[in-house]
Amino acid sequence: MSFMITCPICGPRSVHEFRFGAEDRGPRPFGKSTTPEILYQHVHERSNAAGPQKELWFHRDGCETWVSILRDTKNDLELPLSGE
Amino acid sequence: MDKMKNKPQRLWKKAPLKSAYDAVIIGGGIHGLAAAYFLARDHGMKDVAVIEKRYMGSGGSGRNTCIVRADQRTKENLPMHKEGLALWPELISELDYNLMFVKSGCLNIAHSEDSMNELRLSTLTANYFDLETSLLDAKECKEIMPCLDITDAPYYPVYGGMFHDPGGTVRHDAVVWALAKGASRQGVHIHQLTEVQGIKVQKGQVAGVDTSQGFIKTRKVLNACGGYSPRVTAMINQKLPVTVLQMEAMVTEPLKPFLDVSFVSIEYDVFGSQSLRGEVVTGSNMDPWPTYSSNTTACYLKRQAGYLSDLIPCLKSAKFMRIWAGLTDMTPDMAAIMDGNTPVKGYFLDAGWGYYGFKSGPIAGRYMAQFMASDKRPELLKPYRLSRFKEQHRLGELSTPAYYGPWN
Repeated sequence: MSFMITCPICGPRSVHEFRFGAEDRGPRPFGKSTTPEILYQHVHERSNAAGPQKELWFHRDGCETWVSILRDTKNDLELPLSGE
Repeated sequence: MDKMKNKPQRLWKKAPLKSAYDAVIIGGGIHGLAAAYFLARDHGMKDVAVIEKRYMGSGGSGRNTCIVRADQRTKENLPMHKEGLALWPELISELDYNLMFVKSGCLNIAHSEDSMNELRLSTLTANYFDLETSLLDAKECKEIMPCLDITDAPYYPVYGGMFHDPGGTVRHDAVVWALAKGASRQGVHIHQLTEVQGIKVQKGQVAGVDTSQGFIKTRKVLNACGGYSPRVTAMINQKLPVTVLQMEAMVTEPLKPFLDVSFVSIEYDVFGSQSLRGEVVTGSNMDPWPTYSSNTTACYLKRQAGYLSDLIPCLKSAKFMRIWAGLTDMTPDMAAIMDGNTPVKGYFLDAGWGYYGFKSGPIAGRYMAQFMASDKRPELLKPYRLSRFKEQHRLGELSTPAYYGPWN
């Protein structure tokens, strides 16, 4: 399925210019309190939401910016990020 | 007029939804139906319900490209797939249903020295387990698959290959119907158009399943939903190390028989076989982002046409007839997750089968049935436990399908 992703610099572009980064799982856990369990959860566990999901994408064949978007995984359409 | 007397018989019976079952299996695909069938046949658990959101085989079971083989690389993984391959002829006679098993053999084609090394490793592992597999050079590949272009004209010229003799194709719909028929005869209830909406847990033990048709009391639940398995695990607040990606497959118009072997090309990411109807059934790699949609892409159709005609020049003028997509639940180590009684008692999981869940569906069902009935993990399922990711004991399967995943 092809769809468009809005890059803050280039505007709406074809998804094939982008590389999927990850589900937005927040920053990587650091420090002494980071147990292997917490690290495992961060590295491997995915929520695989069916519906709106916050994600990071990389504009590989464009301006090489990391983009944060909200996408509905049921129909692959981009949704407006809340607060904008 | 005799024909009128022999009315077609229904393969499976329609049964009312009871308020309690010994076990509930979520997902009416090959894995779920096989588990139900073997639970009833081998373990005397006949009070079993199979719950399917849409119709039987509507997911990956009816969307795969029918290829069966045992080409896994690791010694933990291969024995089960080998057993799975031997199970097909058995199932045909046992279920009294023609599954159209064609033992055509599988040819893995390498287009670089790196891929040849992978195939060398795979060949050694396969031979260790007495699976008839041999390493070939380009000329020998051409002998097996005469339509292959082994000149230096293709973008990726052929270096060599691996021929896996016991592989072949099985008709996927027939497998679903046959298992449903077998399970129904054993007394299993099959409920289609019944969606699971929640799993009730009491004191660390599964107590029941909430469905769109009402609540079902049960102490054992199997999650065999393929691509939707992360959504069902979410009902017990568990997250899986699984990424759900979409895979597209397509068929060409029917052609005269010219390809009697199923093939996989590592560099082109293309695999296929000619069906008994003459259509070339092929698939490509996955769309590199997670999704639950099953929409198809013109981009992949074009890509597939280019690659396929590069590899098999005689397909240049053939037209694609149909294209469809299905979901694959990929794990980081390309091996399935089969676990039970974790994190709650009575909850069993058969997921993470990615795009290779068809070939070993019945055998996975058989072992999961054994696990569910006895609450004791069979020896063969030990490498597949979920905690292996936490313990960093991943199975080294990654090299078999080269570089698939959302990370490339």
